[in-house]
Amino acid sequence: MSTIAPEFRLSRFIASLTDLIFWILVLFTLVGLPIVMIVLFYIELPVINGELLTPYLALTWLADPSRTLPIIKSLLYTDFFRIAAFPGFGFAALLASAIIFIERKFLAKMQLRVGPLYCGKVEGILQLMSDGLKLLSKEIIIPAKADKPIFWAAPLLFIGTAAALVSLIPVAPGWVVADIDVGILAVFAVIGFFPIITVLSSWASNSKFPFIGGIRALHQMISFEIPLILSLLGIVILTGTLNLTEIVESQQHYWWIIFMPIGAIVFFITLLAELERIPFDLPEAESEIVAGWLTEFSGMMYGLVQLGSYVKLYAFAALFTILFLGGWNGPMVWPPFPEEIITEGITMGPITVKIPGLPLLDQEMLNATLWFVIKTVVVIMVILLPRGVFPRIRIDLLLHTGWYKLIGLAFVNIFIALALLYAGVLGPGGLIQ
Amino acid sequence: MVSKKKTNAKPSETVKEESHPVTEESHPVTEESHPVTEESHPVTEESQPEVAKKEESTLVPEPTFEKSIASRIVSKFGTKTVIGFIKPNRIRINTKKEDILDVASYIRDELNFDHAESVSGVDYPESKEIEVVYHLGSYSDPQLAKQILTLATRLPREDVPNPGKDSTRMSSLRDIFYSVEFHERECFEMLGVYFEGHPDNRRLLLPEDWADVPPLRKDFRIKGRVA
Amino acid sequence: MTTQLPPGMQLEKVDERIMTLNVGPQHPGSGHMRLIIKVDGDHIVSCDPDPGYVHRGEEKMTEYRNYIQNIPHLERPVIHDSCNILYPYCLAVEELLGIEVPERAKYIRVIASELNRCVYTLYWLGIYGIFLGHSTMFMWPMGDRELLIDLLEALSGARVTHAYFVPGGVRNDTPSNFEEKCLRHVNYFEKRLKEYEDIFYQNPVLKQRTEGTGILSRMDAIRLGTTGSVLRSAGVDFDIRKKEPYDVYENLDFQSQVLKEGDSYARSRVPYLDMLESCRIIKDALKKMPKSGSVRTKLKPNPKGGNNEAYRRVESGRGSLGMYVVSDSKPEPYRVKISVGSFRNMICMPYLLKGEKLGNMPAVYWSLNYWPVEADR
Repeated sequence: MSTIAPEFRLSRFIASLTDLIFWILVLFTLVGLPIVMIVLFYIELPVINGELLTPYLALTWLADPSRTLPIIKSLLYTDFFRIAAFPGFGFAALLASAIIFIERKFLAKMQLRVGPLYCGKVEGILQLMSDGLKLLSKEIIIPAKADKPIFWAAPLLFIGTAAALVSLIPVAPGWVVADIDVGILAVFAVIGFFPIITVLSSWASNSKFPFIGGIRALHQMISFEIPLILSLLGIVILTGTLNLTEIVESQQHYWWIIFMPIGAIVFFITLLAELERIPFDLPEAESEIVAGWLTEFSGMMYGLVQLGSYVKLYAFAALFTILFLGGWNGPMVWPPFPEEIITEGITMGPITVKIPGLPLLDQEMLNATLWFVIKTVVVIMVILLPRGVFPRIRIDLLLHTGWYKLIGLAFVNIFIALALLYAGVLGPGGLIQ
Repeated sequence: MVSKKKTNAKPSETVKEESHPVTEESHPVTEESHPVTEESHPVTEESQPEVAKKEESTLVPEPTFEKSIASRIVSKFGTKTVIGFIKPNRIRINTKKEDILDVASYIRDELNFDHAESVSGVDYPESKEIEVVYHLGSYSDPQLAKQILTLATRLPREDVPNPGKDSTRMSSLRDIFYSVEFHERECFEMLGVYFEGHPDNRRLLLPEDWADVPPLRKDFRIKGRVA
Repeated sequence: MTTQLPPGMQLEKVDERIMTLNVGPQHPGSGHMRLIIKVDGDHIVSCDPDPGYVHRGEEKMTEYRNYIQNIPHLERPVIHDSCNILYPYCLAVEELLGIEVPERAKYIRVIASELNRCVYTLYWLGIYGIFLGHSTMFMWPMGDRELLIDLLEALSGARVTHAYFVPGGVRNDTPSNFEEKCLRHVNYFEKRLKEYEDIFYQNPVLKQRTEGTGILSRMDAIRLGTTGSVLRSAGVDFDIRKKEPYDVYENLDFQSQVLKEGDSYARSRVPYLDMLESCRIIKDALKKMPKSGSVRTKLKPNPKGGNNEAYRRVESGRGSLGMYVVSDSKPEPYRVKISVGSFRNMICMPYLLKGEKLGNMPAVYWSLNYWPVEADR
């Protein structure tokens, strides 16, 4: 970065370009294509119009562009797309990055200042990108006596577990990465992983402040897991299923928050504690223990942990939406796809073009996604709000809250659910279906 | 600071002369003499404090309250203490280092001064002495709210200081006034005055590896400035 | 041990149970000083304050400069409260040299001193908020502080380190529209202060964290010689502006704020109430100020004080700030001793933090209104 560029010569430039093209071609033919061929033995190839889609067939779209949309549509319904892009990691990461930016702006407006302003033409939109680039370019410093394998693995484990949590969340009917019958239990199993990762990474840092931070994180997360689980038992009792998709489908006429408000409140508070958001951000208490268990992470490791943290935020907010706010249920506001384009094609002057393969995604799915995103964003805003209002709570008050008060409230919630069930108001065979 | 007597002191009151109350208007630059000038201190005498001259008494009320406090101390301790000056709200008592514990206990118990505002050390290399000055105030007694009693004592000063192990030492007033704890530590490190009975004579502000002359002594010169 | 330790270093046996934490200068929760805290689990066993990281030898430097040259560097211990730290120096030097300060200058001094008190207290309050994790309480005071700093900039030309007070008065007169501007800013500031009440002082999490921690009883406050807001929050009504009024404080109408509980909540509240009083004082002083007049009594060049001494004290943002000036026949003072509120309150730290929980450490430590730079001088 700091070398002086040599003088520009056109011949040298063209030589370097041809060099580059040469190497790309060599690698592509000698290495890339064989790997693709070998890998494809193990991947299910989609079937389009009765033909198996091999790479050679896929490359023939150059000749017949009308095949693009079916190819893309078939790819949309594969598992890989679901894991990597739509309800899976790509979507979550994108939303998480947007949340980071929104949080900074939102908090700034609350605090009578402006927030990021200069990066990007419109109110600092590219700030996140520049932060990511900055973290990528920083040196990763590992303490000398740290436990290196665990230290390196910790951020990856963290973001992996956050991604695992995202994979259980249904965004639209049928659009979920892992449709497990015991969905809620799987969610808790994954959540139970987080304290382990925190403690491992703080222990591996081999330093006093991360140690204190890790112990605090352990206490906090473990003591809030029980109210988390208990607050959802009411819904499980009333719906009779642990599957998240079915829980959403049971909310077609009413939302569970109407009947289980206490459960919703308890779940909200415990989710603030699991996410280490203010007022519960003791493990990262900046003024007392420098940065808590994150102290020794630098560069992209810190970036990964932050990304994982916000992906977790999205996942929990999505869980709240699914369980209490009706998930993707909502009135149909997405305009239906005009039928004429399918049957007759688009007419522009004398040319009529028929595009096979439309529509890519159906109206119901888009409507569901829209409502889901709106509700999740609202929940996220409410989660972001206490950061500007509350100071940090102390550890003994936190434990007191978690073990006494929240568990008590969760039990009250369960009793309400049981009462509603046995009174025949809700549940299978109840008055309100 | 060797005091020189000015002409407005009568020869009879060699030692204990009170300066005129300091006003903001006309101000004769009177100085107060330290009772220790040529001899070691305190010099004996017990005569009543001089009344201010006529022209000054019309300008400002006489500090009778302060005089009463000062005379109580002097009447109890006699030759051991000498009044430095009596100004409105400021009284100064000079005493010897051996008697300072008794005087301080008396001031705390009988006169209700309950804390020390500051402890300073002043270095007088010409008379080979270091003066430690305690400013005492009172929170609990509403009559004494404005008063500051200055208690001063002089200690011998050596040319080559060895803090903690030479003759510049006095008993600490920490058991009498708890508030002097950190002030005495600072005095120790800045001037080399060792306080016997202080639980913790350690460096406070200076770095741990300071190996030079205690900085507030006049021998320690700042480079580059002429004073 | 055969190795020779450098002077001042000491060896300590490492205990298996008690952990020594350096809440040191490189710490977001300490300011520029170090607290050596020994922790047993979550309880603090002992606390040893270690100031001196910002020690610059202010008192020694005063012996090398004459009375006027001392002003710019004597205000450096507290740069944003600089008027209050120069105030006792100017009063003491005026006593030594026999100078009379004009009336308008006294009122301007009072106004500047109260503005400085608010500026300092807002800074302190902001840092108190961030120590407890309340970032909004950091941003709001810093933003509101700008209003008052604008006023001080109009008065003296500098945002901090004003060097505005000189023995004999103030350096220059106020600009022409100062009264209206000051009134406008102070009125807006008072409205903003009411909002602090809602977000900070009535915040349930804050009250849970600070009420009942670090309790200083009235007897202890007097015995330890504390001063300023620490003293007044323990129930002792001692405000130097009321008890030993200097300049024109006896003409102005205000109360000294006293709370009885003596815990961290009370200590954090007294400066806030002081700020509300400061607004009243400023408005009152603006009304009663003589509309014209000189603001400075000229001194003769190189004034000398003769063999004399003076001790004057002033109520600054941290507490009573006293200056003991000893003069002789030279134009430089012989000795200047600065007795600052932070240094006097430092004795509360080992006393209060012993036995506290580690989580309470920032709440208690910073509530003592401690400014490390000033304590080190």
